[in-house]
Amino acid sequence: MIGRHPLHTARKRQQRETSPALEIGRNRLLFTGAMLAAAFAVVALRLVDVTVLKGGDEPAIARSAAPTELRTGRADIVDRNGVLLATSLKTASLYADPAIVLDPKEAAAKLSRVLPQLGEAAIAAKLKSDRRFVWLQRHLTPRQQYAVNRLGVPGLNFQTEERRVYPGGPLAAHVLGHTDIDNRGLAGVERQFDEELRAREKPLRLTVDLRVQHILHEQLERAMRAFHAIGAAGVVMDVTNGEIVGMVSLPDFDPNLPTAIDADSRFNRATLGVYEMGSTFKIFTTAMALDAGVVSMSGGYDATDPIRVARFVIRDYHAKRRWLSVPEIFMYSSNIGTAKMALDVGPAEQRAFLSRIGMLRGSPIEIAEVGQPLVPNRWREINAMTISFGHGLAISPMQLVAGVGAMVNGGVLYPPTLIRNESGSARAGKRVISARTSDQIRRLMRLVVEHGTGNKADAQGYLVGGKTGTAEKVMGRRYKAKALMSSFIAAFPMNAPRYVVFAMLDEPSGNKETFGYATGGWVAAPVVRETIARIAPLLGVRPVDEQAPEIRRHVAVDVVTEKSGKRRLASF
Amino acid sequence: MRLNLTADRGPMTLGQKLWHFSWFFLLLLCVIAGIGFGMLYSAANGAWDPWASRQAMRFGVGLVLLLAIALTDIRIWLRYAYVLYVLVLALLVGVEVMGVIGMGAQRWIDLGFIQLQPSEVMKIVLVLALARYFHGASLEDIGRPGFLVFPLVLVGAPVVLVLRQPDLGTAIMMTMTAAVIFFLAGVRMWKFALVGAAVLGALPVAWSLMHGYQRRRILTFLDPESDPLGAGYHILQSKIALGSGGVLGKGFMHGSQSHLNFLPEKQTDFIFTMLAEEFGMAGGLTLLGLYMLVLVFGFAIALRVRNQFGRLVALGVTGTFFFYVFINIAMVMGLLPVVGVPLPLISYGGTAMLSILIGFGFLMSAYVHRDVRISRHGTSEDD
Repeated sequence: MIGRHPLHTARKRQQRETSPALEIGRNRLLFTGAMLAAAFAVVALRLVDVTVLKGGDEPAIARSAAPTELRTGRADIVDRNGVLLATSLKTASLYADPAIVLDPKEAAAKLSRVLPQLGEAAIAAKLKSDRRFVWLQRHLTPRQQYAVNRLGVPGLNFQTEERRVYPGGPLAAHVLGHTDIDNRGLAGVERQFDEELRAREKPLRLTVDLRVQHILHEQLERAMRAFHAIGAAGVVMDVTNGEIVGMVSLPDFDPNLPTAIDADSRFNRATLGVYEMGSTFKIFTTAMALDAGVVSMSGGYDATDPIRVARFVIRDYHAKRRWLSVPEIFMYSSNIGTAKMALDVGPAEQRAFLSRIGMLRGSPIEIAEVGQPLVPNRWREINAMTISFGHGLAISPMQLVAGVGAMVNGGVLYPPTLIRNESGSARAGKRVISARTSDQIRRLMRLVVEHGTGNKADAQGYLVGGKTGTAEKVMGRRYKAKALMSSFIAAFPMNAPRYVVFAMLDEPSGNKETFGYATGGWVAAPVVRETIARIAPLLGVRPVDEQAPEIRRHVAVDVVTEKSGKRRLASF
Repeated sequence: MRLNLTADRGPMTLGQKLWHFSWFFLLLLCVIAGIGFGMLYSAANGAWDPWASRQAMRFGVGLVLLLAIALTDIRIWLRYAYVLYVLVLALLVGVEVMGVIGMGAQRWIDLGFIQLQPSEVMKIVLVLALARYFHGASLEDIGRPGFLVFPLVLVGAPVVLVLRQPDLGTAIMMTMTAAVIFFLAGVRMWKFALVGAAVLGALPVAWSLMHGYQRRRILTFLDPESDPLGAGYHILQSKIALGSGGVLGKGFMHGSQSHLNFLPEKQTDFIFTMLAEEFGMAGGLTLLGLYMLVLVFGFAIALRVRNQFGRLVALGVTGTFFFYVFINIAMVMGLLPVVGVPLPLISYGGTAMLSILIGFGFLMSAYVHRDVRISRHGTSEDD
């Protein structure tokens, strides 16, 4: 207390001066404190309110915040074993509202650093437009989106979109087709089932087996390279129900890059292309004649001289210049014999038969790319003769495959399909030839591979039967010399056929290994052999001893070599 | 007895200062900051990186600064109050200029270990400058309208700069804090009424000058459910989180709203929501109680301090702290528009943390030197 004395007067003076101020200060201090306390009390009450009292309010808010409508994405597409063929990924697309962009030039300069492919001038032009919405770049990668976000340019926004992704790349390109930037199907299954893929929740299951697809693709590509062909096509079909297990057309494309597809790659040679199939058609002519009963397996025709009709001459490539039995006509691929067979049946009957097995209408396969066959207007005898060996009627490979399936499976035609039947019920087929005729055709096709022009298709143990086909391509109004359409159609195993395998090369050139030949038996048959040898184990077809008596009983043919009826039984 | 002796015996020794220092207050700050570290640990899904560890480091730096400021004689702070103000104002102009030159809406200066936001520091320095000005003022002085021109300029300059950034939350906080100091300094009530009326009259003008996003925030504040996926998203998600917390919360690290990233800015402005989601009403009220203790402490110090400068500084700092807490919590609970004010000592953010601790340094300096008498002109009376 003593220490305070010297200051006593000073403090008194100060108190005199400032005590009203201090008094006000003190009152106001208390007032302020009370206000702050009140404010705190309000906050505390509110906390109790939102955490506990209005706790029941939460779901209502949560519901109102939930998006009212969810855009359903495009369904996946899977192969017959559930392997993913096509799926949709969420991506961000960049758009701008030019009204909000403050400085289009600066924004364009910044953006072009992140997305150089757009070009600064092009971006600036878009950002200066009067519209309220301009796309800048669709389907950004997450890295690009991050980079754009980092720019912090106002007026740029992202729209969440979906992008179609095909993990297999080009492997099933012509089956699947592709979509455009707005995810609309533009080709293949994507186009045919566009609506359904949008609506569906479960994946769409195809009949295609990705493993078979891969093998077929690889073998065709290899042959195409080896024979410098401009294109190729291949199909594997289950003959018991018409399911397409593999379908390839080359050259193909990567559906992940739909803007980079050229017209030739887009063209589906397996379904859209229609070709004069050549000698493979003899399967149909022979089956027709046998089924109609105009000739039997032991019967035959004189093939000594070429047939001259008007300005046409029909001759044989492997001419024997003698009478040939039906198995010989088939095995040696005699045009003369086959033409005579067709004449015996008659043009009207032939037309009806070909119509019955689906040769005169486009294939019912479920993709948009289906070519209509080129059918002659007037079906005269000369047409009947040329069509009998595959000239003068152009069909797609898919039609051929479906028809041959019916010839070997016991005589029932199944429309080819790409969509797996999920219900499990058997598909409906239509009987087109008798089981007996079908059995005879199997033996004849096996004969071609065992002893005829198709021996290069013989995959050991799988009882392959088939028929070669080589046609000259029509260019304009005349046949183009040296431009061949070389094909081979096969089925296996011939004692109880399960699959048809077709391979075709467009304008192949022979090489040293084929001694310059570019015919179906030389270039397409090996593709079929390699394909069957690789896919048969995958498809559960067991190899058999081809010489075993119980097998021979199913595939052996009695071949008559002379009109007199003298038989040679043992050799074939 | 001893306090009086100290006051009368010239400069305090370091030991005396440490004795006068309120260690309980320091402990209180550590407890609140500790809660903050826990929440940041949870916000990172149970990891010290990237937030909690850095926040702890900054808290440590801030504590050192707090102690250094608190132990420095308050008369030194009085002497340099304007100098500090001018320095920080220069920094504020600096970021404004840099922002114009082309680095976008930049509000900070990179100091390496921290990105310094001058506007945050300004909140504290403004308190010092105003306290310095009003320290020597008599009631008669304050009654003259002309006397208020200079402090209004002191407030106006940073507020305009901050508004240009644009940072509405900071501008409001500065204005409110300044208003509190004006009020406590003794400015007549009718002048506040006049300014209040003027502000109301200016609202339509301000509305027309506002950025679109600022207007949207206010409209959304009035009816958040009008735009649940856009501007109302923050506040709705925050309310859902608060409501789902209930009485005791979902438990540490189990707040689904925050951990599943429905709650935006959970480590900064909306951290209180996360706390209330994980610890419920109990946790939220506990934190509010701790904050209340800090405020009561600040007021007690203001009442206890014998010099006007110290008192005004104590009140200014306490007021600033109050506005941080109040605006942030009221914001996340939908009582105020979303303006971007952090929760002091808890939200992740270096400058806010350091500013708060520096402010508390001045508060403590006022407390430590509570019995120092300072003349109207800034010299100690016992000299």
